Amino acid sequence: MAQHAWWAVARSEEVTATKPINIDIGDQPVVLWRDQDGHVRALEDRCPHRRAPLSLGCVLGNGMIQCGYHGWTFDGATGHLKNIPNLKSDAKFPPIYRANAFAVTESGGFVRVCLDGKATPPAPLEEMLPLSGTSHVALGHDPYIAALFDDPALVLAMRGVRFTPYLTTELGIEQDRLVIERSCQWAGPRWPSPFSSDFPISLRIATDPLTGESELVLRDETLAPVLTVRLAPVPAARGVTQVRWRAKLAPHRAGLMAKAMGTGTPFALHSAVDGAALRVLRPSASIHAAALRAEITATAAQSSAA
Amino acid sequence: MLDVADTSYDHADPIPSDPRDFAAKVNSWVPHDIVLKDAWFPLAHSYAVTAKPVRRAVYSQPYFLWREHGTAVAAEFHPARGLIDIKTPYSDAAGRYPVIEKYGYVWGWFGNPANAAPEHLPSLPYLPEDGGLPVHMLGTVRFDCTAPLSLENLIDLTHADFLHADVVGDEKMDKETVEVFHDSETITMVRTCVNKSVAPIMKWFGGVRSEVQQVRQVIRIYLRSHAAIAYGRFSPGDNVQLFHPCVPETRDRTRLDYAMNTSNVKKTNLFRYLMPKASYKVSRQDSYMTSPQSPRYMHPEKRKDLHSPLDEAGQKYRVLMLALAERQARGDFVYRDNVSADCSDIIGYQKT
Repeated sequence: MAQHAWWAVARSEEVTATKPINIDIGDQPVVLWRDQDGHVRALEDRCPHRRAPLSLGCVLGNGMIQCGYHGWTFDGATGHLKNIPNLKSDAKFPPIYRANAFAVTESGGFVRVCLDGKATPPAPLEEMLPLSGTSHVALGHDPYIAALFDDPALVLAMRGVRFTPYLTTELGIEQDRLVIERSCQWAGPRWPSPFSSDFPISLRIATDPLTGESELVLRDETLAPVLTVRLAPVPAARGVTQVRWRAKLAPHRAGLMAKAMGTGTPFALHSAVDGAALRVLRPSASIHAAALRAEITATAAQSSAA
Repeated sequence: MLDVADTSYDHADPIPSDPRDFAAKVNSWVPHDIVLKDAWFPLAHSYAVTAKPVRRAVYSQPYFLWREHGTAVAAEFHPARGLIDIKTPYSDAAGRYPVIEKYGYVWGWFGNPANAAPEHLPSLPYLPEDGGLPVHMLGTVRFDCTAPLSLENLIDLTHADFLHADVVGDEKMDKETVEVFHDSETITMVRTCVNKSVAPIMKWFGGVRSEVQQVRQVIRIYLRSHAAIAYGRFSPGDNVQLFHPCVPETRDRTRLDYAMNTSNVKKTNLFRYLMPKASYKVSRQDSYMTSPQSPRYMHPEKRKDLHSPLDEAGQKYRVLMLALAERQARGDFVYRDNVSADCSDIIGYQKT
């Protein structure tokens, strides 16, 4: 698990001051909550007293988290133990009396956590896309992203859109991201993609090589965006991938089908992957992903050394 | 008869006097690795054992219990099938285990059958020796955790103020003291609370009108049998007399055939009938914590648990269990202290 990566582990609306929530980054359980000032806090989801999950406890009025087992109370920013209610004492606890605290940042409607407290936060997202959702998929992180590259229909659906096997650009590198563009058709009675000369829409996917966080843009023939999606897959326990997404339909969309995306659900993320289809899915675009990731990493290492 | 330790091993206090040694023991706690032998386990309420066999287990070792001419018996095999697998050393040549029926339970011996003796059966002062408690005072619950974690949970009663606040009251009180006593086979914790917020179950159903209570709670654990006495004196309020055995059916699953003797409570008081059933709610609340806790204690951890002064009993429980396990690993299964001697004075039980 990359310690310095910033994982988008929650949507902003999922984290409240009412009840702590549990998420995982790989096998590392993390508890998230919002303190009295609205800041999101992240601690290891394990009370250092008797190893009970802190997420089963509660958020106090002062913004601290209290373990539900014996009432040990922790400050979210530092992880320091602040109170053991039954001790009835104001004595301070030694510094070793603390839970592991993780770095947190929030922007664009995503809460990001980094297991390395010293890592530099990513540049904040300026826009918060209005539509959002969360899915837990019983597929590992790497195979999930490979499926997204090789056949998006296995992991997501866009209203009225058919993904074709034809790529406009193969998987490559643009601005340190893995980028691929796939031709798409509108659904309905029309020639199947092998017999079509041109395609009215395309899906561009730009993926962070470390976290797999991706920006998906469905564009029309003029390259105007129709639908923009931010999709954040995070590896969780037992090989599950937890995926948060946010999306926005462009306010002005040309064509009947593009306009019709505004009725109903324009975007959906599947909560299950069809195993039979996945097994026989021919690796194509994803084949070069590992080499391209290594290339991006090597370039980044060279530039930081220089 | 009671075995007397005659080995060459020292009989010093199993709890080290050096705080560093003590801390090292406390923090080497991997409860799943502890399998203590030569102990009586309360496998079933007496009423549950009839001519038709019932199946129980201790550390996955099968125990079939039934009655022959009214006498409870236990065997590795189902009587309808006989010995079909290889017999283990835990039973006699016929595949039968030593059995005692007392306090309303059928107790099975886990260990070397030759060492089974009635003197090793725990003393339970407030349960009638011949049984006979009404069924509404008995019940069965299960925990998805290793039995020592369940008992460690019980012996640190500060957990009740948070996990069971809606049943037994929260942490609000003027003063709390914890005293701990032990020998090589038992540990006893006495918790005294001054002006503690009254237990809701006593307020709602027990006729207690006051806002606070004086509370004295005793937890006494018979280490090998994984069985505990939980005795509470409440003023105002009625005493609570719970027998809380934690039979390790497997190393990670625990069965609790409890007995809550509320015959001290007036027959017209609802508390007499409802308190024994509170175990079903309380046990789910405990499981809420002990179930996710259990996998985190399956393997040795480099990180040490943190402790507070209120954890003395839990820490000593860990060390005493480890001391017994270490002795048994050396082949020493002798009881150095008598668990069957009446412990009424130790727990402060007042016979009425």
